[in-house]
Amino acid sequence: MTDDVILQVKDLKAYFKLDEGLLKAVDGVSFDLRKGETLGIVGESGSGKSVTNLAIMKLIPSPPGHIAGGEVVFMGDDILKMPDDGIRKIRGNKISMIFQDPMTCLNPFLKISTQMIETIVLHQGLDKAAAKAKAVEMLKLAGIPAPEKRIDQYPHQFSGGMRQRVMIAMALSCEPEILIADEPTTALDVTIQAQILELINELSERLGTAVILITHSLGVVAGMCDSICVMYAGRIVERGTADEIFSDPKHPYTQGLIKSVPRLDKVSTQRLYSIPGQPPNVINLPDCCPFFPRCERAMDVCKTKYPKVAELGDKRTVACWLYGEGK
Amino acid sequence: MPLNDKNNDRATNEFNQYVKPVSLWADAWKRLRRNKMAVLGMWIVGIYMVVTFGAALLPFKSYTEQEMLHINLPPSFKPAGVVALGQLEGRKADLEAAIVKSGRPDLKQDLERIENEIVQLKGEIDTDPKHKRVYILGTDYLGRDMLARTIYGGQISIMIGLIGTLTAAMIGIVLGSLGGYLGGWIDNLIGRFVDLMYSLPYMLVVIIIMSMLPTGSNSIFVLYIAIAMISWLTISRVVRGQIISLKNSEFVEAARSMGAGSGRIIFRHLLPNSLGIIIIYSTLQFPSFIMNESFLSFLGLGVSAPRASWGTLVSEGVQGMQLYPWRLLVPAVAMTVFLFAMNFLGDGLRDALDPQSKNRN
Amino acid sequence: MSRFIVRRFLSVIPTLFIIVTLSFFLIRLAPGGPFSGEKKLPPEIMANIMRKYHMDEPLVNQYFRYIGDVLHFDLGPSYRYKDQTVNDLIGNAFPVSILLGTLALGTALVLGTIVGITSALKQNKWQDYAAMSVAVLGISVPAFVVGPILMLIFALKLKWLPTSGWLSSRAGALTLIMPIITLMMPYFAYIARMSRGSLIEVMRSDYVRTARAKGLKEGVVIRKHVLKGAMLPIVTYLGPAFSGIITGSVVVEQIFVIPGIGRIFVQSALNRDYTVIMGDVIVYSIILIAANFVVDILYGLLDPRISYK
Repeated sequence: MTDDVILQVKDLKAYFKLDEGLLKAVDGVSFDLRKGETLGIVGESGSGKSVTNLAIMKLIPSPPGHIAGGEVVFMGDDILKMPDDGIRKIRGNKISMIFQDPMTCLNPFLKISTQMIETIVLHQGLDKAAAKAKAVEMLKLAGIPAPEKRIDQYPHQFSGGMRQRVMIAMALSCEPEILIADEPTTALDVTIQAQILELINELSERLGTAVILITHSLGVVAGMCDSICVMYAGRIVERGTADEIFSDPKHPYTQGLIKSVPRLDKVSTQRLYSIPGQPPNVINLPDCCPFFPRCERAMDVCKTKYPKVAELGDKRTVACWLYGEGK
Repeated sequence: MPLNDKNNDRATNEFNQYVKPVSLWADAWKRLRRNKMAVLGMWIVGIYMVVTFGAALLPFKSYTEQEMLHINLPPSFKPAGVVALGQLEGRKADLEAAIVKSGRPDLKQDLERIENEIVQLKGEIDTDPKHKRVYILGTDYLGRDMLARTIYGGQISIMIGLIGTLTAAMIGIVLGSLGGYLGGWIDNLIGRFVDLMYSLPYMLVVIIIMSMLPTGSNSIFVLYIAIAMISWLTISRVVRGQIISLKNSEFVEAARSMGAGSGRIIFRHLLPNSLGIIIIYSTLQFPSFIMNESFLSFLGLGVSAPRASWGTLVSEGVQGMQLYPWRLLVPAVAMTVFLFAMNFLGDGLRDALDPQSKNRN
Repeated sequence: MSRFIVRRFLSVIPTLFIIVTLSFFLIRLAPGGPFSGEKKLPPEIMANIMRKYHMDEPLVNQYFRYIGDVLHFDLGPSYRYKDQTVNDLIGNAFPVSILLGTLALGTALVLGTIVGITSALKQNKWQDYAAMSVAVLGISVPAFVVGPILMLIFALKLKWLPTSGWLSSRAGALTLIMPIITLMMPYFAYIARMSRGSLIEVMRSDYVRTARAKGLKEGVVIRKHVLKGAMLPIVTYLGPAFSGIITGSVVVEQIFVIPGIGRIFVQSALNRDYTVIMGDVIVYSIILIAANFVVDILYGLLDPRISYK
């Protein structure tokens, strides 16, 4: 199985130096991604899931941010140690990204064709005409009607859902190994969300692309992901296959998240569960479990030390004092 | 920071860190103090205010008193008598040389006059206390102290800046909030008018107004009005925009649903929430008032004698700048330093009060 | 697009009309007149003069007569320069001011954007701090301080440049240098600050992050994705900048003795030379309106989101 691993993130740390102190947005995150796998990273806003993925591409705005340690091994090489030239050959080519807000992620001053062609020409060495043909083909795959005509339009002439389709077509135009989708449906209408997720699913399967799907919604990952990482305050608190996470959540935070998903199959008269409190301020966080103020099962030890990560089997981990040695 | 004593009502920023639960103003003050140039600007502006408005209480010389023996003295820490004597003797030597060279008899009269002055000065130098004065920044073409003139000139310039800013802010706030709150034809009318005024080169209008008015002691007052009348445009636009965006916000709807009247909504909810942006624009406008006043005074259309603003002083200084450069440089530097400080303070205030400002530059 | 231009052009006419009307009555209602300054003239001569210039008629008649003349592109005679018409006066001075203003704005635009872009790319490094300090200085120091000080240093002390004059045969283009620097300073400074700010904002925008995530070189990202969006605010600023340059040139023409409309304007305002003031106001307004018009069209061409329909 390990031979299939195309991306290995080891103990990744990304810090931001702010006036108020050091913000450890990502603090020791590790996970693997296998070829063709869909990995979900779930967490509340501010839990560091987006920063993790920007760090993988070395796209963290610097200053104030910097990568404070760790490795991102892609096909045998550590991306973080590569020269800029090397990383640029990977960005958009081997690993590409789509972002949350399709309204702001396309350049409003350039035609769709310009924006798509420049990537294809850059990475695949095609001439402009061939690149345009390829772009049209990708738009068609992404479900844009009349792509030959629409490719010469500007982004503002597309609706939000259509723009996200354009983003997907653009991201997949070089048939990357990995597609990082950072909350791709959050800014869209509910009816369009499912279509976009379906599109990502279908295209990645067809092209054999592994997907990292970042979202705050467990509902989104449930239908799509092979495995799931749950993040809280810059760290992964629980990791496992989708089945394991949903049928047997270990961490109290994961349990809380699952309880707070509304379910249609069980008719209930009770109020929907929600985790008490607010996500924590990760600036100058003390060495404790950052979840303890909101945890129903918090113990004394939680307030003094961050829990050791307990290995519960192949790729199944949880960071909580209720499990492993701490118990 | 202990985690268990957090409030839930704190605002968070893009990294989800908690912004300190202090008031907007305390927070802005903190941000302002971190900006070194803004703090420096604040100090300089403060010192200028104290010195210019406290001038009457401070031991400065008169800015109107003329002393014919002290004309055009360069800046010096020596007593005026010594400086003046040195200057006269230098001029005498120059004249003698020129007479020898050109043999022009008409220069003899000048020589005689200077010799008389030297005699007069030598007679008075130890007895008359006025020759003990020290003009650290020199004197002007009527023998007036440049330091005092610059300080009193600053008083007028800053006054005009203050009154202009306040008047413009008042008119701008009233018309802006009227248009923004009421909308409809009133808003349209005000908007058209503002557009029209924007398409006029407004300093030229002020020039017309100023040149049309009879010259007299009241012209300074007219100047305030003329400048303010035409400077409220930006503020009114900004306030209007702010009011419109706030008018439909939830807290205003809440106030309205609880029966608050228009007046209460404008004065208790809309204006206080627009105060930050009003302060920013007013501070940034302040230096331009001073510049505009000085601009008019420079053209001879502003403050009239014996009063003088920085612009008047610069304009006077230009006349003899080749021989007496301090007459130009002293008011020019004084004014520039103040405007520099004001601009830094304005920029700092904008960054402090409007951290998400889109038009930061 | 052409329909927009026509509509925009038609909307200029009422604006101009209001400006002319307002200034006419404003000027006429003020006390004093073009002939009140000099030594007292005998009443019969005064009456003759008044009749000659139709000033004995009611103001409203004069107004309509004036509007009629203006519609025939006749701005009337000057009351002070007896042998010259306003058309002559302004016609001679206009090219001078336009040349000065255009050169100054052009220089400000080129230097300002270069400095602004450099500053943004070297954000928070010494180049940035140096450039931005110069920019605040440029905004803080008024033209009537910059002009005389430049003149003091470069013309009177160092004797590198001529003190004044305009393209006179001996000094030629050297006479242009100091007026242009003086006039462009605040606009150069403002454009530098603005382009820096807007460049930094665009560099942080989502679509530039997308461009970086596509693997484009930083140079390509800046050239292709950042610059156009960042320069749009500068285009909108050009309208007000042009208006400011015109006002500023009044002082600069005064300092460097340049025979442009600014000098004529101040002279005529002091002399209450009604027709010349009016002519100047009309010319200035047309320049301003034309500048804003061009800026609007330019903006529409640059920003695909704006369509003139």
